Amino acid sequence: MATGMVMEMKETLVSLLDAPLADAVIFGIHIDGHLFLETLLVVVIAFLLLQKSYQPEKRPLTEQEIDQLCDEWTPEPLHPPITKEMELSPPVLESAAGPHTVVNGKDVINLSSANYLGLIGHPKIKEACNAALEKYGVGACGPRGFYGTIDVHMDLEAKIAQFMGTPDSILYSYGLATVSSVIPAFCKRGDLILADEGVNWGIQNGLFLSRSTVRYFKHNDMASLEALLEDVRQEDRRKKKVLNRRFIVVEAIYQNSGEMVPLDTVVRLKEKYLFRVLVDESNSIGVLGKTGRGLSEHFNIPVEKIDIITSAMGHSLASVGGFCTGSAKVVDHQRLSGAGYCFSAALPPFLASASITALELLEDNPVLLTRLRRNISFFRSKLATIPGVVVRGHALSPLIFLHLQRSGSFAEDSVILQQIVDKMLEEGVLLSASKRSLLDKCKLGAGIRIMVTASHTEAELLSVSSSLGNVIQSVVTAQS
Amino acid sequence: MYVKVSTPPDVNKNTSWFQYPGVWTTYILIIFISWLLILSVFGCDAGTAWTVVNLGHFAVTYRFFHWKKGTPFAEDQGDYAKLTWWEQVDNGRQHTRNRKFLIVVPVVLYLIASHTTDYRNPVLILNTIAVFWLVIAKFPNMHKVRIFGINSDYDT
Repeated sequence: MATGMVMEMKETLVSLLDAPLADAVIFGIHIDGHLFLETLLVVVIAFLLLQKSYQPEKRPLTEQEIDQLCDEWTPEPLHPPITKEMELSPPVLESAAGPHTVVNGKDVINLSSANYLGLIGHPKIKEACNAALEKYGVGACGPRGFYGTIDVHMDLEAKIAQFMGTPDSILYSYGLATVSSVIPAFCKRGDLILADEGVNWGIQNGLFLSRSTVRYFKHNDMASLEALLEDVRQEDRRKKKVLNRRFIVVEAIYQNSGEMVPLDTVVRLKEKYLFRVLVDESNSIGVLGKTGRGLSEHFNIPVEKIDIITSAMGHSLASVGGFCTGSAKVVDHQRLSGAGYCFSAALPPFLASASITALELLEDNPVLLTRLRRNISFFRSKLATIPGVVVRGHALSPLIFLHLQRSGSFAEDSVILQQIVDKMLEEGVLLSASKRSLLDKCKLGAGIRIMVTASHTEAELLSVSSSLGNVIQSVVTAQS
Repeated sequence: MYVKVSTPPDVNKNTSWFQYPGVWTTYILIIFISWLLILSVFGCDAGTAWTVVNLGHFAVTYRFFHWKKGTPFAEDQGDYAKLTWWEQVDNGRQHTRNRKFLIVVPVVLYLIASHTTDYRNPVLILNTIAVFWLVIAKFPNMHKVRIFGINSDYDT
């Protein structure tokens, strides 16, 4: 109906316009309503084009607009809401972190310090530290490249190289920063890294900083690693193989689970698929191998086959800092590319002396290793008898994890485990439950992390396991 | 080989692309090529193709220039969250060359479409509605105006 009306209007309009000009032909152009319309539009366009440009004045906001803007503004909080777990504070040690320590004025058995050889408080180390303090003072007062290198640093690097059987080694001042600096020194954007999904946060940070492509394989699952390597090879065949560095990153004994990586399989795979391997030996130096030289000695693999070995010295060597060792080229490259080496102050000389003495003690006293191994196997056998928990971790690992048999999510388990840990603290044993940062991408379950040392006595371990059994039973039955 | 572009003084990343040389030509070429595509795909006559182009142009430009507000860039922190693209172009200056170009294009399209369809009826009405709608939306008097509160952010 509307079209009908418009049609009529158009007809009348056209007839009106056509009437005086009907059948007029000027210069061969038929004058009719259409032409009129077109000229009109052209005039409109010309008018438009001739307009001057101007900036419309800024109208101040009306009261209503101001009110509405204020009402709808919600500020984003600077931090996520504080949960109860965030407010928990860990126990504070009031004495040295030896096999016994003082918490809240009470002497407790300490199973939370990575003091695997019991070297904390060793008189020889204290003597070496005192001598170094007398000689050098406390700080190195400079990065390694800028007058911070002291002869003890060179001695320690030589000692580590001689101990591990490698040509050279390089020191870092902070254990966590070691692997976070080494990985980005060698891996850049475009490189490929295959990492275990259970690697600790330091390694994850290094992987992130390197900006390389990282693919994770299932925790300690060599079949998964091999499948991933095959996948990479297939992709190379399909696309034109891009020239990039390829690494496999594993830990000797995983901080998050206590499992040991089967290094022989990894080395075989890396040689087959032409990858390089980086092993973080923080928890295996001074623990594995006949003389404590780590994972390569344990598997009888020549250390030259591992491209990069990193370790923190805060575990069995009872010092502070970290080192990285490998071929001469590997170490030399880090003198200019290791972020933690170039841009952090050098290790305080007394800590370097402490590390040297710790290595000497380890070399001279292999009994420490036998004691540690005995304690580990004894404790594991006792823990295996506790119902309601599963003992995880390799048989030779000083890091023992106790996971709940009936486990739920990480958060649920953490609550129960924290109750167990708190009760154990009342009983006089210092344990710790796994805590994971919000930044940590590791998906492994929660457990109680026990660190067995060589200086614990069997009696202590027996008492710990029995009270642990009682506490776990009470908490688990209270739960169900 | 590379076009030397002088830095556009427009800081709004949403509209700064319209300052580059060649934008107008590209715009016209897109319209022309879509006309050719419609002709080849549907095999209709030229007039119908121009009508389709005109109406398609109306739909697309209305949605993106006059309906969608704000920018896809989070860095501008919501400065333009209540402004449509048309209100953002050239920092709100009216009657700049870009704006005149963009007002003239629908009118010229209307001319072509109605001429080639010979002012036949159903398509003529559609074309006329399209051109009126678009041109009125581009008037400077319509700057920041929301009729009946449609597409407004405030409760009117």
